[in-house]
Amino acid sequence: MRTFLPWAVAAVALALVPLWVQSPYALHIFILLFLAIALGESWNIIGGFAGQYSVGHSAWYGLGAYGAFILLQRKAIAPWFGVWVAIAAAVIIAVAVGWITFRLRGPYFVLASIAVAEIIRLAALNWKELTNGAEGILAADVPPLRLGGTVITDWNSKIPYFYMGLGMALFCIAVNFLVKRSKLGYYLQAIREDQDAAHSLGIPLTLSKNTGLAISAACTALAGGFAALYIGFIEPQGVFGIEVSIQMVLTCIIGGIGTVAGPVIGAVVVVLLSEALRASLSSAHLLVYGVLVIIVILTMPDGFVGFIAHRLRRKAAA
Amino acid sequence: MTALLEVRNVSRFFGGVTANLDVSFSVDQGVVLGLIGPNGAGKTTLFNCITGFYPPSRGEIFFEGQRINGFPPDKVCRLGMARTWQKVRPLAKLTVLDNTVVGALCHTNSVPEARQIALEQLRVVGLEKRANVLAGGLPIGERKKLELARVMATKPRMILLDEVMGGLNARESEEIIGLILDVKKRGLTQVVIEHDMKAIVRTCDRIVVLNSGEKLAEGSPQQIVNDPRVMAAYLGDSGGAKA
Repeated sequence: MRTFLPWAVAAVALALVPLWVQSPYALHIFILLFLAIALGESWNIIGGFAGQYSVGHSAWYGLGAYGAFILLQRKAIAPWFGVWVAIAAAVIIAVAVGWITFRLRGPYFVLASIAVAEIIRLAALNWKELTNGAEGILAADVPPLRLGGTVITDWNSKIPYFYMGLGMALFCIAVNFLVKRSKLGYYLQAIREDQDAAHSLGIPLTLSKNTGLAISAACTALAGGFAALYIGFIEPQGVFGIEVSIQMVLTCIIGGIGTVAGPVIGAVVVVLLSEALRASLSSAHLLVYGVLVIIVILTMPDGFVGFIAHRLRRKAAA
Repeated sequence: MTALLEVRNVSRFFGGVTANLDVSFSVDQGVVLGLIGPNGAGKTTLFNCITGFYPPSRGEIFFEGQRINGFPPDKVCRLGMARTWQKVRPLAKLTVLDNTVVGALCHTNSVPEARQIALEQLRVVGLEKRANVLAGGLPIGERKKLELARVMATKPRMILLDEVMGGLNARESEEIIGLILDVKKRGLTQVVIEHDMKAIVRTCDRIVVLNSGEKLAEGSPQQIVNDPRVMAAYLGDSGGAKA
């Protein structure tokens, strides 16, 4: 219970933010933050717990985005319904791919994950009848959202996105907690630490990794669908590009891989830093970003959370 | 009485290298079998074949009468045959308790129940005070005990121990011998790879000697200790062995 109290307090405090903050820019930053948290937590399930460093998670992100928007454009299905179909598609494709690529270990798996995301990006670029190719898809005629008595029709306001994003981030954090404390969580962490030892202790490797990937891909696709709705426009490079995958990985590396709090802290750093630097340095902000990652890897190989946990443990031992 | 484990004419080749050739033996319920032989005799390869890490190139392996050739290691473990590693493999960033919980989850889906089983096994090997330490921080003696606790947590009917005394001092070895004898008293079948002949003689009911991948001899500890061929294999006098 004590573990969850700070999370609950933070969630309530964040839910109250729109009462005080009306600036669209400030709300925009919060929404980006929620998106980065959701993505970091999603990647953490397979990359953090299971140690399978996928650099191809943009595939599931993009499938979530495209799935939701294609259904909106073709069938006029609201994105918050369509995204579930997109998630199902992402999970099916992820498991099919996982069945093949999880035989690979270490750098070979990383390369395979990049290749898969590239294949899907190129498919999205060239399958013009379905995806509209490089022109992308612009959200048009988003229907009103009914939530009990409240009807949201004003899609120009940031408030609905703020709460959707907050809900999504909390959902992804909750999924991480559930996975970490489950049998699957133990199995994934055992696989991360030593695959052969895990195998000898009765852990079915491919099945466990695929289950983890399915959960991870589902959360990523959900975030993709949300991002598409919020931004209102998608195109292949923007959602399937490797930058999306890299950001997910970096969020976790900076915050602390394999911890639930890590991606949250990583997201705060990544979002605030890139916003702060974008204004003054434009594209050169990536340079600062890179330097930060190098510093973190050199001085805090387990990220901020790992660093602090290590300090606390040392203090307790002393 | 059918044997719990039966190895029938097992061979394993790596390219042109013969690691095991035509090895046969069986292990009855409750027996502790010692598997000995000089370095490179193929002991660990045989363990890997039995536990599913490499399928045998030829021959058959039966566990409780069921043919298990080609079963993946996780399935072999769930059938009730668990192994330790010569080079210990702790899950370094998990605690000692969580390492053992991973083993215990083999036969339960409930994490709290697995934790109970794990604590019990840690108590048996005397690591309960170290339960919340990261496994990567344990000294070698405790790592070996953790390996033992972890395989015992999978509730095996048979365990294969690959040099659990390797690298230990006399006192630590003595503790491990005590644990093996305890486990034996509970009726658990064991196959033990070991170099320390004193430990082998004290713990084992039967011994199989491997040399250059082939079975050289099999018998009671007394027979093996007095077998001139075994002596010759260890001392490298193959000429004398034929006599």
